[in-house]
Amino acid sequence: MTQLLGGMPIMADLPGWAFTLIAMSGVGIILLLSIAVAVMIFSWAERKVAAYIQSRYGPMEVGPWQGTLQPIADGVKFLLKEDIWPTGADKPLWRLAPLLIFTGAFLSYVVIPFGPNFIGAKLDVGLFYIFATSSIVVVGIISAGWGSNNKWALYGAVRGAAQVISYEIPLSLAIMPIVLHVGSLNLGEIITAQRGWFVNWHAFGNWGSHGFAGILSLVSFQISLWIYFISSLAEVNRVPFDLPETESELVSGYHTEYSGMKFAFMMLGEYADVFVVSAIAVTVFLGGWYSGIPVIDRFVPAPLIFVSKSLFLVFVQMWLRWTLPRLRVDQLMHVCWKVLIPITLANLFLYGLLRTALA
Amino acid sequence: MVKLVKDIYETFSTIFKGMGITRRYLGKKPVTQQFPYERWAMPERFRGFVHNDVPRCTACLLCAKACPVDCIYIDVEGKGKERQMTRYAIDYNKCIWCSLCTEPCPTNCITMSHDYDHSVYLRERLVYEFVDEPVVPFKPSKEKKPEPDATGTATPVAGASGGEGGAQA
Repeated sequence: MTQLLGGMPIMADLPGWAFTLIAMSGVGIILLLSIAVAVMIFSWAERKVAAYIQSRYGPMEVGPWQGTLQPIADGVKFLLKEDIWPTGADKPLWRLAPLLIFTGAFLSYVVIPFGPNFIGAKLDVGLFYIFATSSIVVVGIISAGWGSNNKWALYGAVRGAAQVISYEIPLSLAIMPIVLHVGSLNLGEIITAQRGWFVNWHAFGNWGSHGFAGILSLVSFQISLWIYFISSLAEVNRVPFDLPETESELVSGYHTEYSGMKFAFMMLGEYADVFVVSAIAVTVFLGGWYSGIPVIDRFVPAPLIFVSKSLFLVFVQMWLRWTLPRLRVDQLMHVCWKVLIPITLANLFLYGLLRTALA
Repeated sequence: MVKLVKDIYETFSTIFKGMGITRRYLGKKPVTQQFPYERWAMPERFRGFVHNDVPRCTACLLCAKACPVDCIYIDVEGKGKERQMTRYAIDYNKCIWCSLCTEPCPTNCITMSHDYDHSVYLRERLVYEFVDEPVVPFKPSKEKKPEPDATGTATPVAGASGGEGGAQA
């Protein structure tokens, strides 16, 4: 972006700070708009995938083809809805919640490595930054629940917050072996460690770096992958972990008292988060912007490969939504604390042993 | 410990089996019938909205008398040669679709069609007027009344006979 603007005649004459400000806002606006459009497409895709799995059609009326303009109709609907304020609600807190949920999800897009030159900010602590910003969502959830002045919203919010913070532990511990291997939290470097053939992907054990010990790192990294994927479903409140927001359980959980644009923001944040966790799974485990076959890498643009892999994982999440039953909140907590965390700790320990043995 | 491993294996294998099933459904054609554009054909003797074939109506008032809820409004004026039917209306606010009106008709001009989807926004629009201007009722000749065909409408034949009461199936 800086190079693009620097080429323009007027821009280069501005003082440094103004130039940076404009360049950054430009990037921010483009990113925000493209994410908003992507989220709209996800909501359409979710409804269509859900429908076809259930042997029905989904939205068909609105657009020229298969209801493609349905999200636009939804957007207009959200804008036109009455903005209801619950009585007795803690106004500042209640208003803050959608913003926090939305912001927490969007902040993560800054470090997602779409391509070697397509990263918003090449942070050396990229991975850690993502876990940190996705925790902002928890504050948003709790303020939504408390500020709504509604006991079911509070139940939903507390369960949601408990779920999110509990599953952050296996989420990050599962990625630790990869970090141990790559030696850096920088997402760009994590991807470049997977260049070459697809056996070099972390999901397949990165044979390039491990040689014949690849079979052991394959096992270890596969465990990481599956635990990461399960925890990421819990992070974004998707089935089988969507108890905080199920219609049949808690009306709408912490979403209950929101209508119109505020609800739209929360939904937007949630779908954006779905893409973020898929993108991180692709980055860390599935080769990032490398397609796994070096010949293809030279011709196909890197962001295309990255985004298509992430979209595939988003599709898998939607697919799972209509396949699996929901977990009860105590089962959810049991799985996290008594199954996933011991496994991730053991995995980390064993991979550490493997590294020491290799060195 | 062994139980844990077995449980984990079972978890994943059942999840994958389930995903296989949903994946199969993803490829199948949906079973939905897109209503306004695709509809079932009604059975032959389906009792839809009543239709009166006014050119064949003799204004005998038998259908109005047969109707259990008096939803057929017929106005006839004049006597003898000047006899004219000024109004033939069916009020669908009242009609119960029982088809009793179709049975006594001597010329089989009143029949049940296969229509069922005439929703309106105003109740007045549900009163169907079949006659715009006063019409001379049909004068059947003395020949045999035609057999009604499968849809209940008689094939129009010039000179149908009158006089017999019930409809011949």
